[in-house]
Amino acid sequence: MAQTKRKKAGIGMLAALLLATTLAGCSKDNNKPSASGSASPNASASGNTSPAASEANKPDISKKVTLNWYLLGDAHKDTEKVVAEWNKMLEQDLNTTVKLNFTSWTDWQTKYNLLLTSGEKIDMIFASSWADYYKFAKKGAFMDLKDLLPTYAPETWNTVPKQDWDDVSVGESIFAVPSTFPEYTPDGIVYREDWRQQLNLPEITDLNSIEAYLDGVKKAKPKVIPINGKAWNEQFYLFLSNFDFKQIGGDSGLIVAKSYDTPRDIVAYPFTQEFEDWVKRMKTWAQKGFWSSNTLSDQQEAGDGIKTGNGAVYWRNPAGAGGFINDLKKSNPDIQLGYFPFTRFHNYATPNLSINNGMAIPKSAANPERSLMVLDKLRNDPKYFNLMTYGIAGLHYDDLGDGKHIVVPAKGQDPKVVTKYDIASWGWRYEPNMRSEEGGWDGLDKLNEEFKAESKPNIFAPVLMDYQEVKTQVTAVNQVFQQYGQPLMMGLVSDPEKALATYREKLKKAGIDELLAYVQKQTNAYLDEKGIQ
Amino acid sequence: MRRLVAELVHNRVMFLMIAPTLIFFSVFAYLPMVGIYYAFTNFSFEGGLFGSEFIGWQNFRFLVESGSLWSLTKNTVLYNLAFILLGNLLQLVCAIFLAEIPGKLFKKTTQSVMFLPYFISFVLVGAFVFNLFNSENGVINTLLQQLGLPGYDFYMHTSPWKYIIVFFSIWKGLGYGTIIYLAAIMSIGDEYYEAAKIDGANIFQRIRSITIPMLVPTFVLLILLSLGGILKGQFDLFYQIIGNNGMLFESTDIIDTYVYRSLAVNFDIGMGTAAGLYQSFFGLALVLTVNYIIRKTREDYALF
Repeated sequence: MAQTKRKKAGIGMLAALLLATTLAGCSKDNNKPSASGSASPNASASGNTSPAASEANKPDISKKVTLNWYLLGDAHKDTEKVVAEWNKMLEQDLNTTVKLNFTSWTDWQTKYNLLLTSGEKIDMIFASSWADYYKFAKKGAFMDLKDLLPTYAPETWNTVPKQDWDDVSVGESIFAVPSTFPEYTPDGIVYREDWRQQLNLPEITDLNSIEAYLDGVKKAKPKVIPINGKAWNEQFYLFLSNFDFKQIGGDSGLIVAKSYDTPRDIVAYPFTQEFEDWVKRMKTWAQKGFWSSNTLSDQQEAGDGIKTGNGAVYWRNPAGAGGFINDLKKSNPDIQLGYFPFTRFHNYATPNLSINNGMAIPKSAANPERSLMVLDKLRNDPKYFNLMTYGIAGLHYDDLGDGKHIVVPAKGQDPKVVTKYDIASWGWRYEPNMRSEEGGWDGLDKLNEEFKAESKPNIFAPVLMDYQEVKTQVTAVNQVFQQYGQPLMMGLVSDPEKALATYREKLKKAGIDELLAYVQKQTNAYLDEKGIQ
Repeated sequence: MRRLVAELVHNRVMFLMIAPTLIFFSVFAYLPMVGIYYAFTNFSFEGGLFGSEFIGWQNFRFLVESGSLWSLTKNTVLYNLAFILLGNLLQLVCAIFLAEIPGKLFKKTTQSVMFLPYFISFVLVGAFVFNLFNSENGVINTLLQQLGLPGYDFYMHTSPWKYIIVFFSIWKGLGYGTIIYLAAIMSIGDEYYEAAKIDGANIFQRIRSITIPMLVPTFVLLILLSLGGILKGQFDLFYQIIGNNGMLFESTDIIDTYVYRSLAVNFDIGMGTAAGLYQSFFGLALVLTVNYIIRKTREDYALF
């Protein structure tokens, strides 16, 4: 009898345990801070005898916590060393360690989505307008930081300009800490300047000269595939920039504003005459062999082709181009590269929103307060900032002490062994702490001057859309785009005119008109609110 | 209630033995089924599973309205039929060969070589395929050029991909399936074969009249088990080989890849669950039907 009782108790416990573990997975987070932010966590700090007011407000860090952070992209081969160093500092200053995770660039969008929906406890994650920050914020994936910031990240709270906080605000709430680094990141291409000169090809100034360059290279060097790898981005952004088609609210797929000056004139680009001309032109490009016929299956970046001497063009923004050119200077000093920003098609540039890069705290976070404290340190303390952004001093870089430049790698290190420490650190950028590379590509500064001189306000990026009411159409349209649109634009179909007709018909069926109406309505509402005609 | 307790006490060892299985299935198969409810909600981060708005069948609309549900289902079913039938047949044949071959060393080597692809990840298979078939420096096209023949642009045509995919699927599963059949052959008693030999039956007669009939139950069982997943494509296989190359979707798109692409742009738990639910229901209905047919014709072979 006693035995039975015990067993029953055992079964009961087991069941309870099972239930508890499963429910824990579903339960809402209990650690979510109360709305007043400064409530319980610093209750114990109230007894602090320190005279300074800020000291009295100092949050309680007596409990040691480990935070879970996520960045986009890949780790550097020395990231482990750098993070170990960082954790030593964090443990001393904030009684915290951080586990730093990366999504890798392969399928990062899917992984990012999964991270936010799976309920994994994440204390901080990279966020950005180009990673659907507004959509996720509107759907409630991130935690509102408005009340936490003044207490747990006071320095950041004071140094980020008001305009930038406005950028990340959704309604009354702030869901991310934007980076503070005014920047222009238009599309553009890196190309082989040495080949252009050697083959006597025209300077690149417009679409025709790009075509002439590609053609000249292909004819003189039949073994070279000018855009060697997946050529989609090279082709697609050239298309948008050439016609000044502007995407709205981040990535709006096939729906674009027809030009900067007519923001209310919104169309689905596959139905324009420009598109028809473009796909015919791209057919000739594909036939001339500017990219390979398997480009849609190729996993290689066009930049890798340049490195091996088999490619001639690579799509990059100016900062990315700078990094690429600097890297190549070290690994292949015989290659001379040039850069052509697509802003020159229409001679204006728009600055990024501050939330082009930033850090956010998902709803699932276990320790949002501590996470903000770490971020505050990371942004504002140069010791932290340099370590996590440029790597270990004396190994990855040497500080020149002028507050502007660093040398990469440090003196006495072999550049072939110690590569530039380069992770997706964009989220905590803070301009006063930023350093540029001594002896690096000087084109970037010149380009930034050029952009500043022709700058126009960014009126398209902040349009808030979550596509909830048209999600079926978005899905269907995107399927059609991948199946019919991509091959058509890459010039891989045998008869562009017929393929275009099919494409348009399928798009209509998939509900492109409803999608268009939705974007039009949202954009109008935004423009009305801002008083833009 | 008393009887249940008495039963539990009486057969406690038995119940203890079955407990791990019961727990495993309740935790990993039955509890997650609650999530089916996602298929009928408009998911929001604040509401979670039960707090989100109930929207009925709306999440299923994207499958039906895109107009591709039929062709996707057809592709998935046909591919799986090819995998299951061809695969099982080839495995059966290989197992019989291996069982009859006398040399031990040769037998072991062949078995290992056949088993190896099973351990290769589909990511690598995808890389193999690209390096075999691409038009610039793919193995096949280089070979054709060396022989002075015109190249063939695999990535511009949809027709060869059916065969390529079926080939790689079978290639990968062959060793594993062969071992299952080999085990079944090994369990056939020697006395049958000896009796047959004494009666003067040659090797082909022995295979036809002893081995094959004895293997039919295993064959039917394996087919039945795989039918349940007939609407679940092998996502890795298709995604790694075809990827996002829209050129080839016409003949290579299956439900899994379609759903993956749908939700990669427009991440929506509700729609994802809806697609999964459709696949599971179709699979269940299929297993029940086939099992019913088998039970009517040859009762011994039926699953349940």
